[in-house]
Amino acid sequence: MLHRKKSALKTAGAEALPLAIAIAAYGMSYGVLATQVNFTLLTTVAMSVFVFSGSAQLVAVAMLAGGAGTASVLLTVILLNLRNLLYGAALSEGLAPAKKWTRLLAFGISDEPFVLASARFKKVGPDPFYFAVVAGIFYIAWILAALFGALIGNQLDPQKWGLDLAFPATFAALLVPGLKGKPVIGTALAAVILTLVMEFIKPGNELTIIMIGLLAPLVGLYLHRRGRTHA
Amino acid sequence: MLNQWFLIGALALVTYLSRVIGLEFMSRWKMNPTLRLYFNYVPIAIIAALLVKQIVLPFHGGLTLSIPVLLSCIGTAVMILLTKRFLPSVIVGVVIGVLFRYFFS
Repeated sequence: MLHRKKSALKTAGAEALPLAIAIAAYGMSYGVLATQVNFTLLTTVAMSVFVFSGSAQLVAVAMLAGGAGTASVLLTVILLNLRNLLYGAALSEGLAPAKKWTRLLAFGISDEPFVLASARFKKVGPDPFYFAVVAGIFYIAWILAALFGALIGNQLDPQKWGLDLAFPATFAALLVPGLKGKPVIGTALAAVILTLVMEFIKPGNELTIIMIGLLAPLVGLYLHRRGRTHA
Repeated sequence: MLNQWFLIGALALVTYLSRVIGLEFMSRWKMNPTLRLYFNYVPIAIIAALLVKQIVLPFHGGLTLSIPVLLSCIGTAVMILLTKRFLPSVIVGVVIGVLFRYFFS
């Protein structure tokens, strides 16, 4: 039993570390950006401790920077979080042996742990311990990176160092590598066009992001369906 | 400050709920594959929309294109496609935008 745990610990560490570096990079960007919307060192790190979600936190601070209110930030994050439902559902069997601890492990569910854990469960069956180690490594990386980012953000003069440009650059770096396949590219293009139209009609509208989060994926679905019937 | 704590609490709650609901309840349903795809496309749409909102800014009732921001995004996009590394790509993108601002505006 102990031997199995040891080997799971080793595998989890080896598989999580490269991704932890990537997560730390997002985390640092988040830390810098949060200080740009007047989060203190404490609140910047607190958000990472309590929320622990790259997409939710980055989108929240970017929306605040654009002048959005709390309600529209929350609605957008709820929309963004819908995919966690999928991850949770897909991981539930593999995490089931943890029994009452599954509710604690649930806190670690997000994009990267999902990818690693689902591959692991496919290979060796349920393994909550592996998931706990992976999520734990990511959690530590995420918090330390936010702290580091906030320290940097507090030191630099935003205008001089172009920290305002770190927002769009971060989002470009998040978006571009994932643009593969017609449905995904179609969703992104639809989002771009819809945003331009909606901004043109009513500049600075708070609901734009939520509306586009709801509408643009329909274009992706349409392209997916058309691709299948043609193939 | 109080507002920030409220936002953190609310974000923590909705995010944790999405995780635990998926884990405890959704696993018993057979989810519609179309809905699955839809959920996966949502973040792409939101990130793309946020990006456009930063490149094209409201200005005197109309819209104006921010060239430094656009160049910054293009630089980051090219770098991440070439190097696949997040932080260096963001830094290069920012530097491009800053240099443009410094020399041309």
